[in-house]
Amino acid sequence: MVTIANEIKVEVKERGQFRPLKLLKNRWFLYALSLAGFIYLWHWTAERRVFGGGLPLPWDVLVQLGKLTVDPLAGKNLFEHTWASTRRILIGFAIGSSIAVPLGLFMALNKYANAIVKPIFDLLKPMPPIAWISISILWFGIEETPKVFIIVIGTVVPCLLNAYNGVRLVEPQLYDVVKMLGGTRKDEIIQVCFPAAFPAIFAGLQISLSIAWTCVIAAELVAARSGLGFVTLQGMTLSRPAMTVAGMIAIAVAAWLTTLLVSGLERIVCPWKRGLENV
Amino acid sequence: MAKIVCDRVSKEFIQKGKIRVHVLEEISLEVKENEFLVILGPGQSGKSTLLRIIAGLETPTSGSVFIDGKPVDGPHPSRGLVFQSYMLFAWKTVMGNVEMGPKLRGLPKKERREIAQHYINLVGLKGFEKYYPHQLSGGMKQRVGIARAYANNPDIMLLDEPFGQLDAQTRYFMEKETVRIWEAEKRTVVFVTNNIDEAVYLADRIVTLKGKLPGRMGPTFVVDLPRPREHTDQAFLELRQEIIDSTELVL
Repeated sequence: MVTIANEIKVEVKERGQFRPLKLLKNRWFLYALSLAGFIYLWHWTAERRVFGGGLPLPWDVLVQLGKLTVDPLAGKNLFEHTWASTRRILIGFAIGSSIAVPLGLFMALNKYANAIVKPIFDLLKPMPPIAWISISILWFGIEETPKVFIIVIGTVVPCLLNAYNGVRLVEPQLYDVVKMLGGTRKDEIIQVCFPAAFPAIFAGLQISLSIAWTCVIAAELVAARSGLGFVTLQGMTLSRPAMTVAGMIAIAVAAWLTTLLVSGLERIVCPWKRGLENV
Repeated sequence: MAKIVCDRVSKEFIQKGKIRVHVLEEISLEVKENEFLVILGPGQSGKSTLLRIIAGLETPTSGSVFIDGKPVDGPHPSRGLVFQSYMLFAWKTVMGNVEMGPKLRGLPKKERREIAQHYINLVGLKGFEKYYPHQLSGGMKQRVGIARAYANNPDIMLLDEPFGQLDAQTRYFMEKETVRIWEAEKRTVVFVTNNIDEAVYLADRIVTLKGKLPGRMGPTFVVDLPRPREHTDQAFLELRQEIIDSTELVL
C-alpha cells in the first residue's frame, strides 16, 4: 500500500442490522412500491371506466402482449414488428450519425467548412424532422426508404451540434499542454480534441436516438404495414385499446434497449467515464 | 551565462478587437542554471503571463526572452510547464498522462513506460498508475502534473501557481515534496506564486512583481537559508517580514 500522508482515499460500505423502519428507506423497496402504486391506480381508473372503454386493464394489456407474440398482425408477430422498427432505427441512426459526427468535428476544426455548412444547417435546424414525412413519401414512396430518410434527418441535427460543441468547449489550455510536451497540431487533435469531445458526442447520440424513435413511430403512423407504430395504429382502427397500449409498451422497451446499446458503446469508448455517473 | 534572460519584456493584450490591456511592463530578470527562482506577485500582476511568455506560449509585445542565449520562438519540450488547474487529460490514466511527452516525441512504448514509471515513483504515486484523474485528490492530481512535465526531461521547469487550489495542509506538504523532487533531480525552476510563505520556503531567489496591471518589477530577495527550511525559524520569519514590508502583499 502506498501512503501519501493526508491523501488516502477510503471507501466504506455500511451494513447494519435489519429493522422494519429501515425498509422504508430502502431504494429498491421504494421503487417496487412506486410501480405497484402506479399499476394499481391504472387498474382502478380502467375499472371505473374513467376514459370510457379507452383504457384497457393492465391484465388485458399483458394478455394482448402475449397474444401478439403468437398471432401475427398483418403477417408479422410482435417480435417481427419490433424488429421492423428497430431495423429502421439502426439503419437511419447509423447513416445519420456517421454523416453528422465527422461533419460536426470538421466544422469545429475548420472555419471554412463551418462557414459553408453552418448557414444551411441553421436554416434546416429549427424544422422538426416529422415535417419531412410528406415530402419524403412523395420522393421515395411508402417503402423503407422514406422512414429511414426521416430518421437520418432527425439524427443529424443533435449529432452534429453535439460533436461541434464538444470540440468548441475543449479547455484551450489542454492544447497548451500538448504544445509544451512537443506535440504538433495533429497531436492536439488526436490526443485532446477527439477524446475530449467523446462524452459530448455520446450525449448527442443519445438525444438522436430518442428523436429517431419519435421519427420512426410518426412515419409508421402515416404509411406502413409493419412496425410498432403500425401496431398502435391498428389498435386504434380496430378499437382495441389493449393492442395500442401493448404496442406502446413494446416501443418503450425497444427504445430502452437501443439506449442501452449506445451507453454500452460509450462505456467501451470512454473507459474514464465509468464510475463517474454516481459521483 | 544565465540560463534564462528576460530583457525588458512588455506585453499588451488586445481584447474584443480594440481594448488594449497592458499586462507587463519592462520586466528584466535572469535565472541561473539549476536555480530555484520564485516570481512572487499579487493577483493581476501579470506573473502567469510572464511565465507563459518564458514557456513560449505567448509572444512579448516588446523585449525578448533568451534561453541559453537563443531567443524563444514558441513552445519547446525542453521547457516543462505545470498548470495552476492541473490540466490533466481526463481520458488518460496517471500512466497515460505522464508518458504523454515521451509518446509525442515518438519513443517506443517500453522505453516511455520506464521513464514514466520513474517519475511516477519520484512524485510518490507508485500504485496509482491505472487511476484516472477524477479518482485522485487535488494534491495527487498536481503530482501527476509535475511528473508529466518532468517525464519529458526538460532542463527548465515552469510552475504556474501549482498549489493554488489546494488546502493549506496539502499545500504545505506539496511544498516539501517540491523541494524533495527538485533536490533529487535538479532543474532550473521558475515558480510563480502569490503566497509569501511558499516563496520563502522554496526559493533560492525571489523576484517580486508589483500589481495591479501592468505588472512592474519589484525588489528582489536572495533567500540564503539552508534546506529543509522551517516556517517558524527566526531567519525565515525575518525575511518574510522584510518582504511584506517592502511589497504590497498582505497576508
